[in-house]
Amino acid sequence: MSKYVPYVLLAGAAALFPYCVQRVFLHTPIEAEMGTAQKIFYFHVPLAWICMLFAVVCGIAAGIQLSKRSERAEAVAVAAGEMTVLAGLGVLITGPIWGDATWGTPWTGDARQVSTALLWLVFVAYLLVRRYGPSNSERIAAALAIFGAIDVPIIYYAVKIWKTTHPQTGVVGSLPDSMWNTLWVCLLALMMLSVAFVWIRAGQERTASALDRAWIAAESPLPKPA
Amino acid sequence: MNPIEAETKKVEGRDPATVRLKREYEAEVENKVASDYSHIVWAYGIIWALFAIYGVILWRRSVAQRADLDALTAKLAGK
Amino acid sequence: MRLLRQTWLLARNDLRQEARQLELVLTAGFFTLVVVVMFALAFFGLAADVQRKAIPGMVWLCVAFVGALTLTRVFDREREAATLAALLAAPVDRLAIYLAKLVVTLAILLLCSAIMVPGLGLLFPAAQVFAADPLALIVLMVLGCLGYAAIGTLFAAGLATSSGKNVLLSVILYPLTTPVLLFALVATQRLLDGHPELWNTLAQMAALDVVLVAVGAALFEAVLIGAANPGAPAQARAARAARFAAPPPAPPP
Repeated sequence: MSKYVPYVLLAGAAALFPYCVQRVFLHTPIEAEMGTAQKIFYFHVPLAWICMLFAVVCGIAAGIQLSKRSERAEAVAVAAGEMTVLAGLGVLITGPIWGDATWGTPWTGDARQVSTALLWLVFVAYLLVRRYGPSNSERIAAALAIFGAIDVPIIYYAVKIWKTTHPQTGVVGSLPDSMWNTLWVCLLALMMLSVAFVWIRAGQERTASALDRAWIAAESPLPKPA
Repeated sequence: MNPIEAETKKVEGRDPATVRLKREYEAEVENKVASDYSHIVWAYGIIWALFAIYGVILWRRSVAQRADLDALTAKLAGK
Repeated sequence: MRLLRQTWLLARNDLRQEARQLELVLTAGFFTLVVVVMFALAFFGLAADVQRKAIPGMVWLCVAFVGALTLTRVFDREREAATLAALLAAPVDRLAIYLAKLVVTLAILLLCSAIMVPGLGLLFPAAQVFAADPLALIVLMVLGCLGYAAIGTLFAAGLATSSGKNVLLSVILYPLTTPVLLFALVATQRLLDGHPELWNTLAQMAALDVVLVAVGAALFEAVLIGAANPGAPAQARAARAARFAAPPPAPPP
């Protein structure tokens, strides 16, 4: 029964998206200071939250993978890592687009941007080590993910005290209710989509390991018990 | 007074300088809205494309795994 | 304490071997000089106050580059003679291996810092402020290099297998060491500016270093087990690659 969960989530997300778009463009008022370009924010911010959430999930799953030698945890870690990279890529592309539309500068170098970029790099490294690493790099990659998840708050804090002269672009702090509600709806849609993808991907990873073991057993020269 | 003048209304703000200024503002707003929309369309389009591509990658892997499983079953059946 | 004694023995062994040939020290030291001169070339034309802002970046970029180079070399001996598995088989506390390698890396990095900081002071007048507070400077360099070495030793050990794909070490190392480097950058800037909160930042760096060494030590054994014994996952990956390279078998009639 639970194997249908991701597909239900996908269907739900698909149904929710048109409603999201309608809300963003037709229902929510135009923000006074930034104008129409602020509408990018309704997908940009949820993507950033999703990126950080799955980074932490990947780190925790990697920790469980190492301490309990759990294959399930490893599958979740891989899937979460891929989603971190995907969402992070979305954040890193839409952020500068928004910056370019509003302030004319794609890269402002503020704490959030730098720490997101570094987080993204760490998890790209995670995926690269898993794929192209030497023979037993799963464990190194797991250590990488754990460090990555720990590093995020540290980097954010460090860049913040470094760039104290930069004006704080606090957008999420004071929003009227209608905008908050639209944000929550978009967050819900994107969460359903990303959870569904991670679920499917983790399942594929476990299937791949099981298939590997089955093939090795099938091709081994040992006689099978009758 | 001229009887025609007595019946006409006085029009404000239609001198050429004000009209030109107003048209400039409107052009500026229109440019900003158009630029904003193009940015928005790019941003949403890229997000959509990223997730669609990932979905396709997952789909292809799923198909490949199913084929692999079939091959394994066939091999075990034929053994 | 047994752990400290083992750490000291292992570190002394490595350092003694190094002192015999000075291979690593000389190459790392020379590389430091090269980097400093390259920075001088690149940034010489800048105005004095702009140079001052660039100095922290120069210091810590140099440490990052020298560190990446050093780390691959620190484990060279283990890689060439495959002594890693032997070390793990011996009744040595794993933590001692980690701490010993950490000490060696730290020693090399501090040596290079001793070359780099005066070098920068010579080439850039703005860096001469370093001489004003030598205690803070030494503490800063030790803490920064320690944090860098803590992360680097863990991953260099993990990648110290015979296939030697060292590009991956750089790919891992630079993003992961950024927290340490960021704090070090802030501290260096505050040192140059004579900021009152300098020791605050140094204390934060010390706390960060404690966390990094602790996590590194905790993960060392897990990572090293993976590096020393390539096993089932590699076999599975090779089998999978062979399977997908060959054409699929024809279905039975």
